[in-house]
Amino acid sequence: MKQFQRSHEPIAWSLFGAGGMVVAFIIPALVLVSGLILPGMESSAVFGSLLGFAQGWIGKVFIFITISLTLYHTVHRIYHGLHDLHIKGNNTLMLVLFYGSATLLSILCFAWLLVI
Amino acid sequence: MNRKPYIRKQSPTWWVNKPFYRFYMLREASSVPVFLYGLFLLWGLLSLSQGEASFAAWMEMAGSPASSIFHVIVLAAALLHAYTWFQLTPKIVVLRLGKFRVPDQWVMAAHYLIFVIVSAVIIGSSIN
Repeated sequence: MKQFQRSHEPIAWSLFGAGGMVVAFIIPALVLVSGLILPGMESSAVFGSLLGFAQGWIGKVFIFITISLTLYHTVHRIYHGLHDLHIKGNNTLMLVLFYGSATLLSILCFAWLLVI
Repeated sequence: MNRKPYIRKQSPTWWVNKPFYRFYMLREASSVPVFLYGLFLLWGLLSLSQGEASFAAWMEMAGSPASSIFHVIVLAAALLHAYTWFQLTPKIVVLRLGKFRVPDQWVMAAHYLIFVIVSAVIIGSSIN
């Protein structure tokens, strides 16, 4: 039987779509927090409360979803944006480079959340 | 495969002359600062996992002038994304109640409402 190559697009688009929600709902407020509110606070106090947040399950899920879906969303747009700009490379290499880096960084995020 | 699809020639600068395409490219380009912000958050998580001294160094970096400029750019990019994303959600989220189709404006308004609530929760919990 002939083997057809499956498109990566359904999985990539699902992650892109979910990430789009994260970037729209969560990132603007988070930028205000990390850029405006946190720098005015005592770092030891922030360390304590953020560590406590990252050690709880709600915090772990929130941090993982926020970081990994943001990365998947943005690499998808950069990958297609380069295509729009006619910047071409070996397609497999480009897929590995963009979706691969989002996957690798998500795994690192997961690992750091486990040991924290 | 022996098909030879006709590929129409297109200049790499096809998007430059039309405002609609320029805005499309700006929207797509907004993903670059947001990607860098994702790395910034991941870096923060790494430093948080490495202990208080490492986290203090990350905090100091986050409060630097260069970081402030970066944050302004990321905020603009994320707000542009949010605006365009909420414009497009009614095209994807088509709700029908019997014969009644929920108007696009309602779907959009619901997203803006969620945006306000989520933002208030995040900012509120960071202050306490």
